[in-house]
Amino acid sequence: MKSEMKMNGNRLQITRVFEAPRAIVFAYWTQVEKLQQWAGCKDATKVEIEADLRPGGSFTQKMQIAGQGEYTFSGTYEEIIDLRRIVYTATMGPAVIRVTIEFFDEGEGTRVVITQEGFPDPKLGRIVSQGMNESFEKLDELLAVRSERLTR
Amino acid sequence: MTAIFSALADPTRRGIMERLYVRGETRATSLAMPFRISMPAISRHLRVLEDARLIERRRMGRLHLIRARRAGLEEARRWMTHYAAAWDSALDALDELMRRDRDRATKEDR
Repeated sequence: MKSEMKMNGNRLQITRVFEAPRAIVFAYWTQVEKLQQWAGCKDATKVEIEADLRPGGSFTQKMQIAGQGEYTFSGTYEEIIDLRRIVYTATMGPAVIRVTIEFFDEGEGTRVVITQEGFPDPKLGRIVSQGMNESFEKLDELLAVRSERLTR
Repeated sequence: MTAIFSALADPTRRGIMERLYVRGETRATSLAMPFRISMPAISRHLRVLEDARLIERRRMGRLHLIRARRAGLEEARRWMTHYAAAWDSALDALDELMRRDRDRATKEDR
């Protein structure tokens, strides 16, 4: 896990530093043909994105996931500030999450902070993490378990 | 998974789950008390939690004993983990793409 993850109440915050200037990183988030090249999970065999990249515009991401079939999620862009910020809301099952992506200079590179709010249950983080740390500190460990399960 | 999240989207049902964690197996009737809602309303909430497989019910005559199913929340936790992992792997892919762009650019410069 190269990203830094913080789970706090109904917020999940992911921070990642890229060795590329802000303009390039931002372009990869805001040009559909570029977004399509990376925005699926690693089990996705095919990713199709339709996006109307402006405030009020909507997007749909359709993925074929190996062994699980098709998964679609969609949402609406709320804010797009050139080179600085993207905000969208997305519907996942019964939950609506609000995702804010912020871009900062970090030396020659770019720090991206992705804040996701509104997971269905503000206490879910706390309840589900019983017996382990409140945060996602042990995520790496959990992921190791997960990949074991997948490779079995 | 959707059933678990919609079940937990309701504050009363979250309260019930928390109470079950603290108290262990609890009588259905005594679950109603702190929420100041009627027994039929509690029964409805319990049914939703039961359908989401978050709780288990044991009947002893007229007494209904409720307890939390660990496996149910495990599933929710796994989902969250999966979600975070999906983001991480997508960001890996993005990193890789930009790295390739950079390598190509350096070659062209030569």
